[in-house]
Amino acid sequence: MKNYIKSIISLTVIIALVTVALAATNYVTAPIIEKNAGAAANEALLVVMPDGGDFTPVDMTQYTLPESVLEAYTASNGGCVVKLSATGYGPDMIIMCGVDADGNVTGAVCLSSNETLGAEKTYGDTLKGAKIDTVEDIATVSGATMTTGAYKGAVKDALNTAIILGGGSVDIRTPEQILADNLAVALPAGDGKFTSMFICEVLENVSAVYSADNEKGLVFVTKSGEEDLFVGVDENGAVVSNVPDDVKTNIENAAKIMMASKLTEVDISGYDNMPANVDKVSKTESGNYVIEVHASGWGMGIGDEAQYDPNLSNEPIYIKVAMTKDGKIISCITVKQAETEGLGSVCANPDFYTQYNGKDETNYKDIAISGATFTTKGYRTGVGKAFEAVKILEGVA
Amino acid sequence: MDVKALIIILMSSVLVDNYVLNRFLGICPFLGVSKKVNQSVGMGAAVIFVMLVATAVTWPIQTFILNPLNMGYMQTIAFILIIATLVQFIEIFLKKVIPALHKSLGVYLPLITTNCAVLGVTINNITDGYNFLESMISSLGVGLGFLLAMVLFSGMRSRIEESEVPESFKGLPVTLVAASFISMAFFGFAGIVENILA
Amino acid sequence: MSKQNNMSILLKGLLRENPVFVLILGTCPTLATTSTVDGALGMGLATMAVLICSNIVISLLRKFIPDTVRIPCYIVVIAGFVTIVQMLIQAFIPDLYKTLGVYLALITVNCIILGRAEMFAGKNSVGKSALDGIGMGIGFTIALLSMSIIREVIGTGSFAGNEISFLVENGLTIGFLAKAPGGLLVYGLLIAVVNKITKGKLIKKKEFSCAGCPSAEACNGSCAEAVKEGE
Repeated sequence: MKNYIKSIISLTVIIALVTVALAATNYVTAPIIEKNAGAAANEALLVVMPDGGDFTPVDMTQYTLPESVLEAYTASNGGCVVKLSATGYGPDMIIMCGVDADGNVTGAVCLSSNETLGAEKTYGDTLKGAKIDTVEDIATVSGATMTTGAYKGAVKDALNTAIILGGGSVDIRTPEQILADNLAVALPAGDGKFTSMFICEVLENVSAVYSADNEKGLVFVTKSGEEDLFVGVDENGAVVSNVPDDVKTNIENAAKIMMASKLTEVDISGYDNMPANVDKVSKTESGNYVIEVHASGWGMGIGDEAQYDPNLSNEPIYIKVAMTKDGKIISCITVKQAETEGLGSVCANPDFYTQYNGKDETNYKDIAISGATFTTKGYRTGVGKAFEAVKILEGVA
Repeated sequence: MDVKALIIILMSSVLVDNYVLNRFLGICPFLGVSKKVNQSVGMGAAVIFVMLVATAVTWPIQTFILNPLNMGYMQTIAFILIIATLVQFIEIFLKKVIPALHKSLGVYLPLITTNCAVLGVTINNITDGYNFLESMISSLGVGLGFLLAMVLFSGMRSRIEESEVPESFKGLPVTLVAASFISMAFFGFAGIVENILA
Repeated sequence: MSKQNNMSILLKGLLRENPVFVLILGTCPTLATTSTVDGALGMGLATMAVLICSNIVISLLRKFIPDTVRIPCYIVVIAGFVTIVQMLIQAFIPDLYKTLGVYLALITVNCIILGRAEMFAGKNSVGKSALDGIGMGIGFTIALLSMSIIREVIGTGSFAGNEISFLVENGLTIGFLAKAPGGLLVYGLLIAVVNKITKGKLIKKKEFSCAGCPSAEACNGSCAEAVKEGE
């Protein structure tokens, strides 16, 4: 027992002594290590801006900078250096980018990353000299698109930061934030929470409709010249946004139609010639159809007209089309897809599928995704089957 | 949590950044206990087990005790003592509770105390700024990488045992040369992870 | 304590009991830090510093440390010195700190240090232990240097960071020597060379055995047992 206690005491004493020794060493070395880190950081700043001179850290709380910005420094030559974090393949790709007083990238380096290919090590060199309006044109490295794309995004944020630090103003909001802000302004009662609605009625001059999650009304997006106009409508169908009278009348009509709109499912099992692609059909009281189809994109595509073949494609593209009974597309949306990232996956982009709005059987084949032949063919087939379904249901086929 | 990022951490620590063959951590048991496949599996399993337990203990200690107290410099001492104690506890626990497992893993456990791969992975998890989940995944990957290297290498060694080797190369030298070849093979994995998931 | 005796303590680490090539201890840093001469020299000297200090302190404390907690005490002392050396290097030679990275902290588990503490410093006087530390440290550093010279000169065509234009321009470098597989290969070849030169005069230590293993105490020969079982 005595030995036992002696063991514990001596081990404790040794640990205590060692801790004291370490604390003492740490007390001496910690300030030096910190100073070294500071010097190293200044050196790193000079790498991206060789004639930057002295750097002063920017008080980040004074400005509204892009979220990716970790640190910013102004250089004595009028430029600035920005340290940013980007997510490429892995998280925390730390990028340092210098921007001169004229808004040109003077250099960009990757300080640390979790990327696997190493493309980030030299990619910064290709961005040298880029400006805010030319940075998008610089090619990403194929095979390392995620890494170099994120890199480019970070450099773009750095260029924007330079503009903001220089006293300019930049909209640093993401498209999602802009949309959310517009919706919140149009219908304050909606509490900022909105869901995009699928339009299955003919609405004039309306490109999108959002409903407030708390059911306090709708927001209609309409065109006013080149600008999108967000018009809020309360739950009684009254326009609450301040808009010109003609717009107000139009939107109130649209709201009346949308609020009265009701879908009834149509039983399609009775139609022997109904294409296999058609999953579900609903009908509105005004006689429009909502057709849900699936189509095979990448993974098949023999011949000109792609056919859905469950043996060839694991993941079809699911499409929902609203159509008038005489075969004109009201709206179209990609519900689900698993096409090649960056190529066929474009079909999930609203910029792509909204192109179908207003099209009919004569001109819907004009729409294509460049570089994604199979996806294009599959999508075209899917939409084509919707036209066929409407004809069958209307008894004209 | 981004599952893809976790898979990348796992795959790179198994294949690309293999601790034994690329970073040379845990070379001693790699050379010492890889003569037979069953030993390699036993050792590998024990290492995975200890690495996971060690990470589960050291990560919270660093994050919730050492860092708030500004005592980051105690890291090495704290971690090595924790690992040594853990290994002892695990051994006692296994002996009492799961004797069968102790029989198969137990003999390898004491060897792990001074296995630098265990200390290495716990320290690296902190330096790389991983969160708890990422740390556990990275430790699992490192352990699996160790197991993989051991098993592959034991296959290679059984061939060497049967071949004629020049006198001065007998024993360790030829083993190291063979290890060099398998390390070279692992070089082929560089860059593969991003491409597989691209 | 005769002069001759001290001399032999100092010198045995250089070749007869060279920790790297004969005792096969500390393989991890040997392989990991020898791709450049700078790294090898830094690792060698850092290890030597820890080795000398820990040998002295452990020898001083050997009468006070109870046998039962001997190993934990040694580990604490060693880890303490490792951390001190680590902090000093980080403060005064930051470049070296960056090169060595986690391997600095891992000096703690370098078998050479615990091995010498257990086999020598725990049993001998302070003076002898210091000499042993110096000898073993020099032996370790020389071994690392010789490996790194081969790997850096032939592997990258430079010496301590200075390019040897003759090698680079004529394409005489073998790049993979500077990479991980090259480390294993050069190590294997060097052990073979040492075997050949000193055949019969050295302690035979071609295989791992419990003699040089610091965890032999804890392991109770179960490692050898496991090897035997497998056979």
